[in-house]
Amino acid sequence: MNAMSNRRGANQWAVAWRRFRRNKSGIIGGVIVLFFITIAIVGPYLAPYPPRSYAPLYQGDAGQPPSLKHPFGVEESGIDVFSEVIDGTRNDLYVGLAASLLTTLIGIAIGAFAGYFEGIVSEVLLGLTQIFFVFPALLLILLFARVFSILVFKGLGLTLIVLILSFFGWSGISFIVRGETLRVKQMEFVQAARSLGAGSMRILFRHIVPNILSPVIVIATLGIAGFILTEVAVSFLGFGDANTPTWGLLLNEGFPYIRTEWWVSLFPGLAVVLCVLGFNLMGDGLSDALNPRLRE
Amino acid sequence: MIRRLLFMIPVFLGVAILTFLIGNAAGNPINLIRLGLRNPNPAVLDALRRYYHLDVPVYERFVFWLWDLMHGNLGVSISGRPVASQIWSWAWTTMELQIISLFLAIGIGIPIGIYSAKNQYSKADYVITSVAVFGFSMPTFWLGIILIIIFSYDLGWLPSSGAAGISFAWWGNPVLDQIAHLILPVAVLTYVGLATIVRLVRANMLDVLRQDYILAARASGLSDRRVTYRYALRNAISPIVTIIGLGFGASLAGAPATETTFSWPGLGYAFTQAASNLDIPLVQGITIVITIMVLIANLVTDIVYATLDPRVRID
Amino acid sequence: MTGKLLEVSNLRTYFYTEAGVVKAVDGISMDVGKSETVGLVGESGSGKSVTAQSILRIVPPPGRIVEGSIKFQEADILQKSEEEMRMLRGSKISVIFQDPSSSLNPVYTVEKQLTDIITLHQHVNKREAIQKAESLLTRVGISESKKRLRAYPHELSGGMKQRVAIARALSCEPSLLLADEPTTSLDVTIQAQVLELLKELQAEYEMSMVMITHDMGIVADLTSRVTVAYAGKVMEVADTRSVFTDPKHPYTEALLKAVPSIRRTRVLEVIPGNIPNLIEPPSGCVFHPRCKYAKEICSREVPALEEVEVGHSVACHLWRELRLEGRAT
Repeated sequence: MNAMSNRRGANQWAVAWRRFRRNKSGIIGGVIVLFFITIAIVGPYLAPYPPRSYAPLYQGDAGQPPSLKHPFGVEESGIDVFSEVIDGTRNDLYVGLAASLLTTLIGIAIGAFAGYFEGIVSEVLLGLTQIFFVFPALLLILLFARVFSILVFKGLGLTLIVLILSFFGWSGISFIVRGETLRVKQMEFVQAARSLGAGSMRILFRHIVPNILSPVIVIATLGIAGFILTEVAVSFLGFGDANTPTWGLLLNEGFPYIRTEWWVSLFPGLAVVLCVLGFNLMGDGLSDALNPRLRE
Repeated sequence: MIRRLLFMIPVFLGVAILTFLIGNAAGNPINLIRLGLRNPNPAVLDALRRYYHLDVPVYERFVFWLWDLMHGNLGVSISGRPVASQIWSWAWTTMELQIISLFLAIGIGIPIGIYSAKNQYSKADYVITSVAVFGFSMPTFWLGIILIIIFSYDLGWLPSSGAAGISFAWWGNPVLDQIAHLILPVAVLTYVGLATIVRLVRANMLDVLRQDYILAARASGLSDRRVTYRYALRNAISPIVTIIGLGFGASLAGAPATETTFSWPGLGYAFTQAASNLDIPLVQGITIVITIMVLIANLVTDIVYATLDPRVRID
Repeated sequence: MTGKLLEVSNLRTYFYTEAGVVKAVDGISMDVGKSETVGLVGESGSGKSVTAQSILRIVPPPGRIVEGSIKFQEADILQKSEEEMRMLRGSKISVIFQDPSSSLNPVYTVEKQLTDIITLHQHVNKREAIQKAESLLTRVGISESKKRLRAYPHELSGGMKQRVAIARALSCEPSLLLADEPTTSLDVTIQAQVLELLKELQAEYEMSMVMITHDMGIVADLTSRVTVAYAGKVMEVADTRSVFTDPKHPYTEALLKAVPSIRRTRVLEVIPGNIPNLIEPPSGCVFHPRCKYAKEICSREVPALEEVEVGHSVACHLWRELRLEGRAT
């Protein structure tokens, strides 16, 4: 095996980073993700048309196929697809990242408690996790989204979507965290900390959680991909926010016209595929880097 | 075994509670329906008022509703037709699609995954893993849309919607007609299912093939075929079964998107329409039914898993 | 050199990985006579296990045997077809692995794992195979063999599992047994029992054995000749007595010194450094970075294996000058 770096102490993150750098798919994924993040930040300033703008309609360009002026074509209603895809990037990334972050936090909280404490607390939390895990998530998300969009005055809004997605999406991480907590709990350094007088919360958050971060990071990254896909499905079916440009919304608007205006369905979809692919590849790369399965 | 069955109860209750609660988000389901529908049919509304027992407090309403549920009374949809009677044929249609795709995905996915694992780092392996990653990075329904554009509209080879031809039968007779309608949706579901299965099988097989007992099996003179299937696969299959089972459940839950794309008259499509119209009784009914289907799928998965892995016995 | 059961000449097995070419076995030669027990000694990473895998030609990819010859019963193994190899494996040549928890298949019963091999190589029906399996278990010292047959590996203790693995390896009465660290993962008391068992079985079946280990104590107990390997190359070959009393290679001396002794109280000497990188091995003598006697020539030239006296060879530039310390045991 290669000798460890002699220069300075190589902590696990440095080692993992070095391994990640050598992982081809991880790097490709990382590049793609960076690309989309860049678009999310600067794109809206460069987009030819403002979000949800019908300007092309007045220019007589409604329903036009892709051209130099409208690289991704124009919708029947006059919305420029190219601008919308760019504007949507920011929103979809927001949903994906926010939902993943939220579910990770919830998952860590519940999972760590479930794994660390014994007795009734643990049982109840575990049961709760299991119940939520088996829910038909998409159905309930759609239902909740529809009801809330009727009841909430200013429409659904991205944040509410994030909350609904998170409400039904935290159980997966929670399971993993619980499993890892159980595993780490019996390691000697935990006993050592306890013998030095550390209290439960301190042990949990200072000692155990940092040691279970590796698989959690991987799942969180892959989770971003999953949440984006879920949001796209929700918006496509018409249950998302009709005033916020998202890729799913575009697919929804393009669906009645797939026969005649295929570009409205193609390009937003490609954006989704590429973005999700990026996160998936990055997640894979992280997985390989953080969980070494060394051969020979 | 008992424990597993017992566990299904709180899950079912959990979904029931959530579904019930959201139905009452506007105070009671009737209010909600009214918000969605401009001109509700007064007779239907009356029937629903009685069904939901609006004259009693919330918790009692829940018990009544649950009671009705268990006895198969799912109320009337706002169209006036009883929910329960329609669900059966929808469920059947959904299962037709899901089960065929599941078997295809497993039947094709496992051999490909094995091949990929045994030939790690080869060109074929790279191609397979790349195609697989694409497969589960795309929204299922979007693939459906693209295929419809290509095969239905551009080429005209396959029908674009429905489970059976309305005005004429594709390809000549009713049986072929059904098959023709199945091809695109099944292709889409199978591809996405394949992607997950291939990756899973590949990863698990790689792990197992590294183990000493595989080396020992080879060292005992067993043929490669024997070692791969009877020894390696047999060990790798357990976690795969679990994930396939869970994935099937998720697929059932995700039916709305795919079915809507193909106008496939199953539970998912019905759900989407119902939810759009705020047809609360219908929505609640379908949710419950799908949840039951998912629970059954999970139970079957657990049983199969225990059969395969002697270290885990049904308690 | 007729009459030798196994002759390995200049074996090179490399692993072609993404990180580079790992030269796991880089020019190992050894031979085993009939009913002889030869020790193959070295730290982990010395190429011992890969040698055993090469003999059976079950080296896992990305490994490949790139050079050398392996003669078993006068026939070159490397020329044989896969069919012929499969007939040898498990019937003429068998292996026991280090960790019985991982060398036994967890999802099959003991009975199945034994009968699979028996029915494969011998023409017996299922019932006879089960009977054979039963008597094998008894022979390796497992009581209540009928009951144990139906057990799964995880239901047995470590010592019992290893006995089952031995039973499996011996089920077809092989001429050659490759024992790859068979006692390393067992408790000390069980170790002794298993070694005794191996000795008995060897005598009974008139088997030759290659005992792969890093434990010089086992070497002293079981073997008549020893090959000392390091980083895929042979450092010293001799009969066991000479290796202990008159080692000629610094690595051998270091191995002997690293074993604690009850009789003499002395400082336990540890071999400094780590096993070398097999992708880019040190220049010259592979051991020179960790050798306390190393001179300038050791980093320049690869020492050839030279015969010191009959049956005793060493690969060291300095064997003539060095006066190394052996053990009186």
